[in-house]
Amino acid sequence: MTAATNLLSLVGVQKRFGETRALVDACLEAVAGEVHAVVGENGSGKSTLAKIVSGVLTAGTGVVRVCGVCPTTPRAAIDAGVATIYQEMMLAEELSVLDNLYAGVDGFWRRREPLATRRRVAAELLERLVAAPLDPDTRVGDLPLGIRQWVVIARALLRKPKLLIFDESSAALDLDATERLHREIQALKSRGTCVLLVTHRIAELVRIADRATVLRDGATVGRLDRHEITEARLLELMSASVQAGGERRTRHVAHPSRKPLLAMHDATLQGGSAPVDFRIDTGEIVGVAGLDGAGQDVFVRALAGIRPPLAGRVELTDSVSGVHDVDSVEQAEAAGITYVSGDRRREGLFPNLSIVENFGLALMDRHTGRAGIIDRDARQGDFDRAAERLRLRFGDARDRITTLSGGNQQKVLIARAFARGPRVIVLNDPARGVDIGTKRELYAHLREFASSGGAVVYLSSEIEEFFGFADRVDVFAGGTLFDTLRDDGIDEGPLLAAMFGTRPGVDDVGRVGADRVGEALGR
Amino acid sequence: MNAPVWSALREHRHLLVPAALVAILLAVAAVRVPQLFTGSGLAGAVLVAAPLILAAMAITPIALAGRGGVDLSIGPAIGFVNVTLVTWLVSLGVEHPLAVFAYAVLAGCLWQAALAALIVYVRISPIIASLAGFMILQGVNLVILPRPGGIAPDWLSDWGYGTTLFGPVLGVLIAAFVLWFGFTRTALFAHLQLVGADERTAYTAGIDVNAVRFAAHLVAGVLLGLAAICQTGLIGSGDPSQGNTLTLQAITALVLGGTSLAGGRGGASGSVLGAIAMYLVFVVLSSFNFGAVSGFMTQMSYGLILVLSLLLSLVVGRGRGRGADSASVSRTPRSAVPNVAGAAP
Repeated sequence: MTAATNLLSLVGVQKRFGETRALVDACLEAVAGEVHAVVGENGSGKSTLAKIVSGVLTAGTGVVRVCGVCPTTPRAAIDAGVATIYQEMMLAEELSVLDNLYAGVDGFWRRREPLATRRRVAAELLERLVAAPLDPDTRVGDLPLGIRQWVVIARALLRKPKLLIFDESSAALDLDATERLHREIQALKSRGTCVLLVTHRIAELVRIADRATVLRDGATVGRLDRHEITEARLLELMSASVQAGGERRTRHVAHPSRKPLLAMHDATLQGGSAPVDFRIDTGEIVGVAGLDGAGQDVFVRALAGIRPPLAGRVELTDSVSGVHDVDSVEQAEAAGITYVSGDRRREGLFPNLSIVENFGLALMDRHTGRAGIIDRDARQGDFDRAAERLRLRFGDARDRITTLSGGNQQKVLIARAFARGPRVIVLNDPARGVDIGTKRELYAHLREFASSGGAVVYLSSEIEEFFGFADRVDVFAGGTLFDTLRDDGIDEGPLLAAMFGTRPGVDDVGRVGADRVGEALGR
Repeated sequence: MNAPVWSALREHRHLLVPAALVAILLAVAAVRVPQLFTGSGLAGAVLVAAPLILAAMAITPIALAGRGGVDLSIGPAIGFVNVTLVTWLVSLGVEHPLAVFAYAVLAGCLWQAALAALIVYVRISPIIASLAGFMILQGVNLVILPRPGGIAPDWLSDWGYGTTLFGPVLGVLIAAFVLWFGFTRTALFAHLQLVGADERTAYTAGIDVNAVRFAAHLVAGVLLGLAAICQTGLIGSGDPSQGNTLTLQAITALVLGGTSLAGGRGGASGSVLGAIAMYLVFVVLSSFNFGAVSGFMTQMSYGLILVLSLLLSLVVGRGRGRGADSASVSRTPRSAVPNVAGAAP
């Protein structure tokens, strides 16, 4: 293929951030009218690559041609016909949806078209994408995460790009929404747009990518055509250490003496929904699933004492001291319940603090001496042990936490949770933006924690995570606990069916619903 | 119900507290100082309040642009234009209104451009850069004019009699409002809000963040020049230190008016209301006989009102979170939801 037909051509691109080498030898070629996936583990440099194509970063060395130019600013890339949907969901929360949609479209002084036109166009586009009316004058900060994701996507579509870059952007969308997104991508493709899909959601790209470029440790290690894109092949290329194939971890032996640990009685999560009864025993790992906004998020927050349920109670049973109520974070903390969120930016990190400070915050009371002075050596010691155990990769523990990749940031938060010596760990989609290697390590650590008498509540938006990991999966629908699946039930079909509010074999309408989902997943 | 009205109300939510404050103060003033509401009373009010109103407007675009942009140098900068106007310009024989206006606006813009260069391109924190500017100009003003004196051009001194409401000062104010209104209709203003609300979003959307910030300072420069003209008209002469107090008053008015110092939220109408409220506080307090301590009473009242109004806006702002706004989004977006309802036990 000649350079002329390539919409995008990167050859031998390098990029350093101080001592960190994000890209070593990255190559990427894409043509108009294809869906091209850029795949790699976290820290493999795929986001850096996307940022170079978008003009946010400039390459150290190497040749970069994007729609005929080498962009050095986002403006230059946009003018060349690039639209990027960033992982960080660039949105001004104080401003309206409309303001956000048309950000940067105008010249310096003049608006390109009247506001009334824009309001109409925006309302139409959003209705198509969200599949529900959305007032363009709504403040973005008041929208739920899933809808915000659509706002960012709509902004990119409004630019009518020649090259559209999705940087891990379907993470916040539920299944039905993902299906709508795929339809949009197909439509773009047929209009000759090149869609660059930067992702580690392998299942997704196997379905829709025409070609794929695989990155490992900042270098391109493979280019696959449509027929070569399989889960096994991708895994093999992405990580030398990860075993190929959809291998299932062996089921652990049940803890011999299970005792009730944490329970929720008669709890109402959302107004008007049926009450929830929930129990988790020592040694158990319970998966929590549901479509966007089906109540699972409210549920794990209630369990962790962050936002008590509207009605009902949460109780932790201690074999020595008896039953404790949990209706505040303080009580949860005292009872040994720790919460880890996948929304690191909002609920986990202190971006201005260092790695070791982020880790040590939860242990401040233990590291503080009588005079109120922090024992730095003790903290460093604890950190070193945790870092060793979780195989944390970092430059200097005093660097800012934001210098780490998403997966490693999450490891620090997990380390922080473990360091408290909790009895129950409640995780809210912790694997969001985390690569598969880190995920597997996380499962192993959680399993170990459970078998030493702890309990794990694990919410995930990717149901593959539960396979071979969770002892049972509690599925939420319509704001309440809808179904509990165990053993063979923990599989794609039954889980999806339950998430969509149907029980397989119970009624025929449900069957149809489940089949439709199956089709959407291309299975 | 009436969607456009509601969305307009929501958009101007930050004006609720300052508008209520002004209304209450007007009511009090009507009882305590009825002479304020006569022709000459209003004329005097406009004359005295104009410099603060314009100064508060001037620092608004800078605050809107975010990154903690607060211009501490605004007071001495107004003072600088004032003293140079009555010394340099008058001694050169330049007295034509057009020339004087042109000089004031140009001087204001130049000063703001210098400040913007430091803040935007050298990336010095705005508070440090403008604090340095405050001190430098304070000194420069005293060097140019060691003590109050000098005489403003005749036409400008005449403003100070303040005999009719519909005089030149009101004209300048209206011109400033019109300018500001025009400015809010430009794409530049939208960019300014975007930069203030989320700089990274603005940058990745292809907006030239630096140019926008620079332009915000230039807009401030124009308003600064107009404020200096009104200040000169008010005192009819030069005063090297009177402008200094305007800095803190203008910032107080800005915050009273609901503009966030963190950027992105607010507008000049709030600042104007804030400035009017401060003037009314001054007038109302003057009607009491506090004797020698009346100045301190005014200061203390400014502080108290500022704190109270911020507390009040917190209470008012409560309602905006989950309730009112998210109601405009349908919460049943998924086609699967009917299924759930149908099959759930």
